[in-house]
Formats: sequence, structure tokens, C-alpha cells
Amino acid sequence: MALSASVVSGLQRLLGPAGVVLTPEGRLTYESDMLTLYKAAPDAVVLPTSTDEVQAIVRLCREAHVPVVPRGSGTGLIGGATAPHGGVMVSMTRMTQILELDLANRCATVQPGLINLWLTNAVRERGWFFAPDPSSQMVSSIGGNVATNAGGPHCLKYGITTNHVLGLEAVIGTGDVVRVGGKASERAGYDLTGVMVGNEGTFGLVTAITVRLLHLPEAVKTALASFATVVEASEAVSAIIAAGIIPAALEMLDDAMIGAVNAAVGKVYPDGAGAVLLIELDGPRAEVEAQAERVAAICRERQALMVTVARDETERALLWKGRKEAAGAVGRITAAYLLQDAVVPRSRLPEIMREMVAISKRHNLLFANVFHAGDGNLHPLICYDDRKPGELERAQQANEELLHACIALGGTVSGEHGIGMDKAKNLPLQYADADLNFMFRLRRVFDPDGLMNPAKLLPSHPACGEGFRPSRPTLPAGTWV
Amino acid sequence: MAVTTSAALTDGLRAIVGAEHVREGGAPVDGTIPRWTAAPATTGEAAALVALAHDARLSVAPRGGGNALELGYPPARVDLVLDTGRLDAVLEYTPEDLTVTVQAGCTAGALAARLAPRRQILPLDPPGWATRSLGGIAATHASGPLRHRYGTMRDLLLGVRFAQADGVLTWGGAKVVKSVSGYDVPKLMVGALGTLGVLLELTLRLHPAPEHESTWLASFNTPAHAQECVAALLDSTVQPNRIELLDSRALAACNLPVSAAALVVSIGTVESAVRAEEGLVKALAQRAHGTIETMGASFWRTYDRALAAFEGVTLRIGTVPARLVETLGAVQAVLPGASVAGSAGLGALRVLIANADAGGLPGALEQLRAGVGEVDGAVIVERAPRSIRERLDPWGPVAAPALTVMRALKTEFDPRGVLNPGRFVGGL
Repeated sequence: MALSASVVSGLQRLLGPAGVVLTPEGRLTYESDMLTLYKAAPDAVVLPTSTDEVQAIVRLCREAHVPVVPRGSGTGLIGGATAPHGGVMVSMTRMTQILELDLANRCATVQPGLINLWLTNAVRERGWFFAPDPSSQMVSSIGGNVATNAGGPHCLKYGITTNHVLGLEAVIGTGDVVRVGGKASERAGYDLTGVMVGNEGTFGLVTAITVRLLHLPEAVKTALASFATVVEASEAVSAIIAAGIIPAALEMLDDAMIGAVNAAVGKVYPDGAGAVLLIELDGPRAEVEAQAERVAAICRERQALMVTVARDETERALLWKGRKEAAGAVGRITAAYLLQDAVVPRSRLPEIMREMVAISKRHNLLFANVFHAGDGNLHPLICYDDRKPGELERAQQANEELLHACIALGGTVSGEHGIGMDKAKNLPLQYADADLNFMFRLRRVFDPDGLMNPAKLLPSHPACGEGFRPSRPTLPAGTWV
Repeated sequence: MAVTTSAALTDGLRAIVGAEHVREGGAPVDGTIPRWTAAPATTGEAAALVALAHDARLSVAPRGGGNALELGYPPARVDLVLDTGRLDAVLEYTPEDLTVTVQAGCTAGALAARLAPRRQILPLDPPGWATRSLGGIAATHASGPLRHRYGTMRDLLLGVRFAQADGVLTWGGAKVVKSVSGYDVPKLMVGALGTLGVLLELTLRLHPAPEHESTWLASFNTPAHAQECVAALLDSTVQPNRIELLDSRALAACNLPVSAAALVVSIGTVESAVRAEEGLVKALAQRAHGTIETMGASFWRTYDRALAAFEGVTLRIGTVPARLVETLGAVQAVLPGASVAGSAGLGALRVLIANADAGGLPGALEQLRAGVGEVDGAVIVERAPRSIRERLDPWGPVAAPALTVMRALKTEFDPRGVLNPGRFVGGL
């Protein structure tokens, strides 16, 4: 549905001609995020520079009943920054300021378009960093991280984005600007900050974010342990956590991924291993030293083929290089892949890895694994050839089976990527009607007109519709009104 | 609406939980004796109680350990107290996952005893934590010294089962340590004082217990030097578990050597690292003109008892670590004789007022709130006799746009005002 002339001229009046993209080729750039299975260009893209402009855009769209879709860097993996119902996409790429650095109070306030790594770059020399580190951190925006409640390898120790967000300013679906949370440690009222992180733009658009900064640790130590099988590596992961050690990061790569990485960036991981664990410890030097010894001992007890500890920053960077370039390296072994993001309780890792092998065999598809083993967050790349008829469908079937297996083990459908369009249909696996209905009503409080990033996060399901009544407890008959 | 007799309602409550677990009256909630007190044994029974109350237009006040009943406005009504005392089970404990699922009435002390053999902890230590129910700690967002390292319930609550105002049992969150599947409903429930749902089951993230821990007392001649030391600790690689600030009166109350202000710092990790960090902590304290001594491990128990036993008015101040001196000064100016203690590294302080002047308190609160307003902080009356709270706003102001959203949430999820009516911000 095209926008009316009055909406277009209204947007142009607000933002000037340079702030509104209307041409088909211009809008095409904005048709999808990194999950290109979902493509739908918006009717217009706007590039505001201030909260006032964002509010004016939302009010104008609300008046005209036009959907509003936020977009950061477009590096999401869930079909979030795409416009299946058309409407106006609000790109935050011109809102990239650091509004305040307040190291004395360990926090910073930034605009949503600021690139994640730029914030750390701005404070690293003074000894600080911003902890959430999605693999996309060189290009993804903090606003996008907040929208999806993004994770990353170091979330095992430091927690995901929500644990680092102290306050937000947002234009919600009612057109109001709300400021919630802030620097101070106590606040009266509901934790609106907490409930707004991870809303994927369905409550509105975040226009400023106050985040916690952490002091850099005294020491960092990175080790690599190789194992004959992923199951043995998974058992080592459980043993490390059970020993009371929470590494900063605990990542696993399987043989398919090791092969791809070694082919792409040189031989950084031992050939012939069924799996490697990349283990990073950080903190006070004496703690890191003691824990590194214990981790190495645990890996050896668990039949590690080899345990290597990086001796300096160069060796450490090399161990991480393979992990960081894994997604790119996969291009060497497959034309296309689906990326799963489900989570299992970490003690169930050995089980799910066995199940994964079975699913892979059943569908005759290659699974390449590179994932956050320490918190049970799986990221298998389910490889398929999009030129072969039916192979995508088989990959999708395998993906669904794996997801069901994760839920059956007590897991969750997404650990850090989010729901978007891609996983909305999967939420009923994990949530009962009453739970979905509660979330639907929560969304409606922030977005009464249903215009904020429609078709994302919640499924089209009876429980997510008007008038649905979840079942109530059965009461003894005849005792009240 | 048909009029339902009191006797019929009593029968209804009995039919749900059994006659021996319902009584007319019961322990007062903030000075009000309820019409009934009922103690369910299962989440299903609890939900049915709420459903019955909803249909009969009764109000429900959930009650855990009864430690925080003076938080908030006095209740508008107290019809049915839902006592979670029998909902005290540990439902699922998986040490390998560092997660546990408990019923809301389980106390933090009972859980700690269950976790201790596996050397794991739930690091939540609000004053008197051992007898407090975990549901109550979640509903009141109560915190203690360990907050410095581990955060609060908001950071540790992974999943929550609750009864909505009409009794519908609802689950939010997940049972794994990392999940972004749907909205973060647990965050909405933490600190909501049970006004959006009655909390019944909690899935919590656990931590390994530190293998070794040491505690030091650093004493300073002026609060400014204490703040200097806090700033130096924060801007260092030292990773304390706690950095607790005590002013002179708080020190005296804990039978500690009295100085203008002191910091009690603890570090918990492997023994070799604790020893290595000790040198750093001492150096930083001395550089800030402090004198430092080692404390026994029992200090934190003594401190907890002193805070829990305090019977006067308690305020929670939320400010920032760079404004400790100003905050201490402001408290002394408007509440002479009050003592201050709390997490210095976060600016989360408690003010203990032994002989509160009921007439002067509203004015004092107003001045303190003006002081923290600049950093969007808050001054919350955590505890005070009802006669005092009737004359003031225990929560303090909430900006209009945010309060509008909060009202809309309450209207959406509890339109009849069943759940703890009148107690929360804005009288929600």
C-alpha cells in the first residue's frame, strides 16, 4: 500500500528531502535484515536526527494509520527490520552521538544508531568497556542490540544487553516520549526499562539509551581444548560450570566448522578434532591463573586431545580469529544455510548434540556448529544447496525438529537473536495460550493501534487477538456470585 | 451483581484449600485485619483463590515472610490475605545448570541451606534475608550488599509463574540462563508489589559460592575521603563482592570503631586471588587517607541482623556513586540523628531513622527527593508506621508519561483492582 501524498509531504516537511527515501531502488536496500528469507521494502525510509523528529514521525504515521518499522544497522537475524505491511521505516543511522560519558558513575548515554564497538572504543583507553558483544558488534547498533536484547560470547559471565541497560528514552506507540530508568540505582514504579528491552520495536522506537560500563579486567587468558567428539566437549563444558567456574566465554566449534575455518583463515585449530572449546577467563590475575589451571585439568580429565593456552595477545587473537570469522568461513562449505538460535539447559548439551547428529543423518544435511556452549545457546548452521529443489524445505524441516528437541529438553526458542518474523510461529511451543495472551496485552498497552513493527515477535494465534479469554482455574461450584 | 454472603465466601475458600487452611481474620497487613487468610498448598489452589476473589470483588494481598508489609501506601482494602507459607517447595534444582525453580513462599534461608552442599548461592541478601520469602523479595525488589557484584532480583529472575488478577495462571520468561523469546515478563513483575500478578513460582539463576572470602573495614576522617576511595575502587581492576558505606551512626549501631565514614569491602574468589587483591584494596584505601583493618567473616551476619532488627523508619535512596558526600550531607541536614548505610559503588543507600518526627518527615522527604532528582533517583519509604505513611507519599514522584504507562498496565491487567489495591505508585 503506497503512502498518501499528504504523509509523504508531511515526512518531507519534517526531515527535508535528504531525510526521506522514496525511490524504489533506494527502498530496496531496506527490504530485509541479514535474514533474507523475509523481504519486504517499506513505502518510505526516513532518517531522523533527533528524538523530536522521531516523535513527529510516529505521530504523523499514527494519524494516518501507517505502520512504523525501526531499523538500526540491519544486521539482525530474525526478519525484524523488514516491512511486510509496508509503511515507514525509521533508520537510526543518523542518530549516532554519545550524549554523555559519566565514568565516575560507570555509565554512558548514547543515541540508538551508535555502533556497539564505537562505545567501547571511546572508553577503552581509560580502562572501560561496554560488555554486550554480539558477533556483529563492529557494525550493529546499540539501539538494535536493545531492540533484540542481544547477547554475545561474553554474556556467559557478563549477562545480555538487558543487564547493562540502565535507562531508556523512547517514542512509544501512543506517540508519547517516555523516559524510564536512568543512572540512579533505585526507582519507584514498574521496571519499564526492563520490560522495554527486547521489544523488537513493537512498543515503539528507542531514541536514547543509558548503559552500564564495566572496568576492563586485570587479566585475560584464553585456552583452546580439542576433543574427539562434540559429546565429549559438551561434557567438559558441563564439568567446568559444575566446578564453579564461570568463564568469560566458553565457545564450541565442531569438525565441520573447524575444517571451514582452517580452510578460510589458515590452520588455527587442530585438524582431525571432532570439536574444540575456546575458553576465555578474565578477572584479577591470580584468579585467572588459578582457574585456567583448573579448566585445563578438567579438559584433560575429560579426554581432551590437546589443551593450549595462549601465551600473549597475538596468540589469543589467533585463537579468537577462527571463532570470529566462522560465519564467513562457512561460505566455503555451503551455498546457503539456516542459523538456529535455540537454547537448552547447559547440562543437556551432550544430549542435544547427539540428537543433532541424528537429525542431520535423517535429513542427509550437513550441520556446522559454532556456538555459546557455556550457556547452552546453540547456533548450528544447517547447510543446504538452494539450487537443489526441495533442499531448503528439508533444511527447514530439520531446523524445526531441532527446535522441538530443544524445547522438549526445557529450552527456549531464542537465546540472543530474537523472534522477529522468523520465530513468531514457534512461540506457542514454549508458551501456553494464557502466556501469549498476556504478552499480546502487554504490547497493546504500549502500542494500542498495532502500528509499531507489526507482524513481529508475536504469532498470529487466537491468543494474540482481541477478545481471547484464557481458561481460568476451575472453582468449586455454587460458592459465589 | 448478586450479593454473596460472607459465609458463602468462607465456604468457597474452604472448598479450595481445605477448612483448616482458611480462617476468618488473621495477622494484620499494615494494621488492617483481613476478612480472611487462606494458605494454598499448590499454585493451582492459589490461582483458584485469586479467581474466587476476583469474581466476588474481593481484594487480594499476597503475604510471604511478612517482612515488608510497611512498603507502599496503606492498603485501600484487605479482604483476602493469600499466605504463601505452604508454597515453600524447591521444585527443581539442577546444580549443573546453576538454576533453581522454587515456589514463592520458599525463604531465601531455606534455599541457601539447600544450595550449600553444592557450594552454590542465590546472592540476594536484603536485611533479614534468611526469613524472607523469595516471592516477597521479588515483589518488593529488596536488595542488600551483594548487589554490588551480582545485581538484584531483576538480574537473577529467569522465569516466573503468577496468577493474573482474574486467576489465570501465567508463565513468563524461561528456565534457561539465556532467553530472548518474547517479552521480558519477569522484569515487569520484579518490584511490582504483586499489583500485576500474584507471584507463585520463580526460576532463578544461581552463582558458585566464592571459595574464599575476606572482608576489610576502611575508616575515614571525612565522607569525602570515603567517596574518593569508592571512586578509586570502581576505577580499578579490583572486583569486590560488596562495597558497603556506613556513616558514624551506622558504625556505632554495628559495634564497629566509629569514624566519620567507613567502607566495608569484601572480596570473594580463589584464595590466592583474595590475597593478591587485599594488597590493592589496602593501597587504595590508604591513598584516600583511610586506615584499614581486617574483619572476621561474621561481620556480614552482624550487619544483616543490625539492619533487620531496626524498628524505626527506613528509607531507600537511589543515587549514584559520585554523589555519596552530597547525599550524606543532605540526610544529616534534614534528618539529624539518622544513620546511613548501603552499597556505595552503586549509590543504593538506606537511611535509618530511630525517632522519626512524623510531622517533619514529609518535608524532609521532599528535600531529599529534590536532591536525587537530577540523576533520576528516588527516595522510597521502605518501612514506617502506617500513621506516618498516611501523611506522605512513600514512593515519590514518577514522571507523567511513565506514570501514564504504569496506569495503563494496571488497568489492562487488573481493571477491578483485585491485587494489592492502593499500595503502589500513584495509588495503583
